[in-house]
Amino acid sequence: MGGYIMQLQDFSVNDGEGIRTIIFMAGCPLRCAWCSNPEGQTLRNPMTRWAEAGEIIEHIRHQAIFYRSSGGGVTFSGGEATAQPDFLAELAGELYDEGFDLAIETCGFFSFDRLRPTLLKMGRIFMDLKCLDSAKHRAFTGVDNGLILKNLSKTAALGVPMTIRIPTILGVNATDEDMAAAFDFIAGSCRGASLELLPYHRYGEAKYAQLGLRAPGSEFGTPSPEQLERWLGMARERGIETVSFK
Amino acid sequence: MWVDREMDNFATRPQDPYVMTDEQRAFVRENIFPCWKGKSLEEAFLARLPEDTKHVGADTGVIDSDSKWRQAVGEITPDYQDVLFKKGFGGIMREAEEHIAALDISRPEDEDKRDFYESVIWACRGIIRLAERYAGEAERMAAVESDAVRAGELRTIAAVCRTVPANPPRSFREAIQFVWFTQLGGILSENPLALNPGRFDQYMDPYYEADLAAGSITPDEAQELIDALWLKYSEWVWTISANTADYFAGYNQFQNLTVGGKKADGQDGTGAVTYMALKATEEVKTHQPGLSVRVHADCPKEFLDAVTHLVSKGTGFPAIHSDSVGYQMLLNLGYSPDDAHDWSNCGCVVPNSRKTGEWTSAANLNFGSALEYALNEGRSLMTGDLMGLETPPAEEYADFYSVKQAFYRQFDNLCRHAVISLVTAQRVHREMVPRPFLSACNERCMECGTDLSHGGAKYNVGPVITGIGLAVVANSLAAIKKLVFEDRACSMAELIAALRANWEGYDKLRELAQACPKYGNDDDYVDSIAQEVANHYYHEVHQYRDIFGNPFTTAFMGISNYIPMGRVLGATPDGRKNGEPSSEGVSPFVGTDKSTPLAAMRSTAKMNQEVHSGGTLLNLRLNPELVATRRGQANLGAMIQTLFSLGSFHVQFNCISSDILRDAQKHPENYRDLLVRVAGYSTQFVNLSKSMQDAIIARTEHSGF
Repeated sequence: MGGYIMQLQDFSVNDGEGIRTIIFMAGCPLRCAWCSNPEGQTLRNPMTRWAEAGEIIEHIRHQAIFYRSSGGGVTFSGGEATAQPDFLAELAGELYDEGFDLAIETCGFFSFDRLRPTLLKMGRIFMDLKCLDSAKHRAFTGVDNGLILKNLSKTAALGVPMTIRIPTILGVNATDEDMAAAFDFIAGSCRGASLELLPYHRYGEAKYAQLGLRAPGSEFGTPSPEQLERWLGMARERGIETVSFK
Repeated sequence: MWVDREMDNFATRPQDPYVMTDEQRAFVRENIFPCWKGKSLEEAFLARLPEDTKHVGADTGVIDSDSKWRQAVGEITPDYQDVLFKKGFGGIMREAEEHIAALDISRPEDEDKRDFYESVIWACRGIIRLAERYAGEAERMAAVESDAVRAGELRTIAAVCRTVPANPPRSFREAIQFVWFTQLGGILSENPLALNPGRFDQYMDPYYEADLAAGSITPDEAQELIDALWLKYSEWVWTISANTADYFAGYNQFQNLTVGGKKADGQDGTGAVTYMALKATEEVKTHQPGLSVRVHADCPKEFLDAVTHLVSKGTGFPAIHSDSVGYQMLLNLGYSPDDAHDWSNCGCVVPNSRKTGEWTSAANLNFGSALEYALNEGRSLMTGDLMGLETPPAEEYADFYSVKQAFYRQFDNLCRHAVISLVTAQRVHREMVPRPFLSACNERCMECGTDLSHGGAKYNVGPVITGIGLAVVANSLAAIKKLVFEDRACSMAELIAALRANWEGYDKLRELAQACPKYGNDDDYVDSIAQEVANHYYHEVHQYRDIFGNPFTTAFMGISNYIPMGRVLGATPDGRKNGEPSSEGVSPFVGTDKSTPLAAMRSTAKMNQEVHSGGTLLNLRLNPELVATRRGQANLGAMIQTLFSLGSFHVQFNCISSDILRDAQKHPENYRDLLVRVAGYSTQFVNLSKSMQDAIIARTEHSGF
């Protein structure tokens, strides 16, 4: 069994506890206009490769000593971590059985019933919430947010520690109205989930060039630290725990 | 003598320039040099050194031992616990007198002892008189001082200097002053490299706790005294030749001060003074003392947090050491478990103790030269001079094994010359350079009436030879193995031609060479070669005995020695060009550890570090953002514990972005206090020569993203 990956990134420290290896899995059902990992949108492109599950598991085992003292482990990301569900289930199942701490970072666009057993193996689930306005969601990501919102609530009910991440982007969702709507949804439908705001960045530009694609334009911007802090305050007023994995 | 030859250029030399006036130069030329003409250590050493050893081992960049024959030795840790704080120099002096009274000078050995004890008495008298002069001056100043507060301070200074170092200290303040007088005595008597304060928290904490309990000191007052001591450590200069300055760059005196770690009984030894020492370095930002910490697997979380917090400040301090590997390194030298548990650092990364006499940085050995001579019939690529053994042309090597054998033959020959050079230096020191003041600070020297230079210490450890260029040699051998014997991408003749041409006109081949596996990426293909070379080095050097009958010791330390040793090294098969820096310690070659710091750590931990009892060194530079938060610092702490669990001895981090360093090159006036880790020590970035600064900027900047 195997699948397509972008890379295995050791010494990752921002996507879960401790020192982690991130498995960047290829393929994504969304086409976010601001995407910072465009090489992850498709399974096969010059920046992805086929990897056997055994190869990845060997790599993880070799890194285990760094997880132990830091409380780290493995994070599935992408692309979209759930875009190759059987591959994900295979990897997560084996690593779970070997006692690794697992985390997943997902856009939330997946079949919940199919993914449920895998989600239950996670030590933490990071799930994106882009925006509540479905028309805007379709326009910027190419898909409706109905499934994502349902999956957010269902996942929150699993009892697995969960952090909802909002990519916070001027020109998309970085307004008081959008933020208020998102926080209301989290407070009302995702009880127990914590919140992390991820400000927009342009680190992916070089990858667009490498793939011969046009990079996102100047319509997207990064909110100021003060703006972010104010929105986090709004979230806390609603009883939402705010966190940072920086 | 080198001072005479070099002092006209002191102010203009690129590394560690000194200001010296024409009057001063005229004075020493008229009054000092004539007296020493023909009697200096340097002249005696060079006169005795065999010609063939001199050819490869004096100012060549191949074998370098000049700090052992152009300077005094230093490399010693005074014993505060068992000698100085117990007896004071007055007590030591009385002890010497008692010993003399008990001697029978009809016995030749007792005559030697009498000379020794008399020299100790002179030294003790000298340091006590110096303190009394400070006391007298403070009393004089107090008498004419109109400010009552200041006058009171001056009277306190006078009282302290009347008490110590003649007598044992009775308070924290007196203990601090005692430490500085001891340091001053060492400086005045030897101009020493690495006069180490040792386990500062272990001997200072009892005084602090007692004063605190008695209400005679506040934490702030104690911190201020420690901060002041840090300034004193930093205000003097180890005066060295231009050549030595290339190897030990940055006005560094290598006064290594160790905190943290286990006590001999196995308990954790951290206390209030441990944390105050870390805070002092954060507050005063001086390059001295060289602050080292011992971290053990069960050390308090607060201690590891304090260590990583200091790392995040970007001073390059502290040097972080594995408590247990340091212990093992001393056990391997034959220390008793109790003494091995009490280890402290010497110089940069040498595990040492207050019971030890040792030349901890005796010679540097250029590994790259051995490979160069194996590939070039014993000749230097850059000069054509015959420097090694005349081995056959490299084209005749039929397989990789033959290449390695030729390398080891050249390598062993260089080891032999390094040993000859150091044994010669040891003999000259024994005859010409007694060390009465620092011998007085050593328990066993006083007991047996024998000077340090005659092997008077409890543990006399064989001189440490430092290997330079492990990564360059491992990478180069890996490139030869892969390109010539496995991939058949080129013939040996082509490769040698490329090296002789400094890779000019061989761009394609150089790219292939650069793409070969590189040490520092957790790749066994090349890491196993590094292991083999490191193990060979240990066995080869360890079989030689010094003048006291002790085996020679190996180390993979840094310092700045990889720059001058690279300068004489021609192009190497790993893709390196003529004269470029070699590699330091067990660190990867600059810019080739492209995976992650974890992989770099893992590669270096594959060496049997605990057999290299002269110390091993790993430098890494981290993006400051990685350790800007407590969370980031906690992860760094975990990373350090992991590295030590793999068997590594030392790691030190530079957390300064390249942008800041480049700006500091342009505007040094804005960055006087910017400390960087050179290798094994930190120093002011602006005090380094341009090429040294460039080398530091070039080190791979690791980032976790």
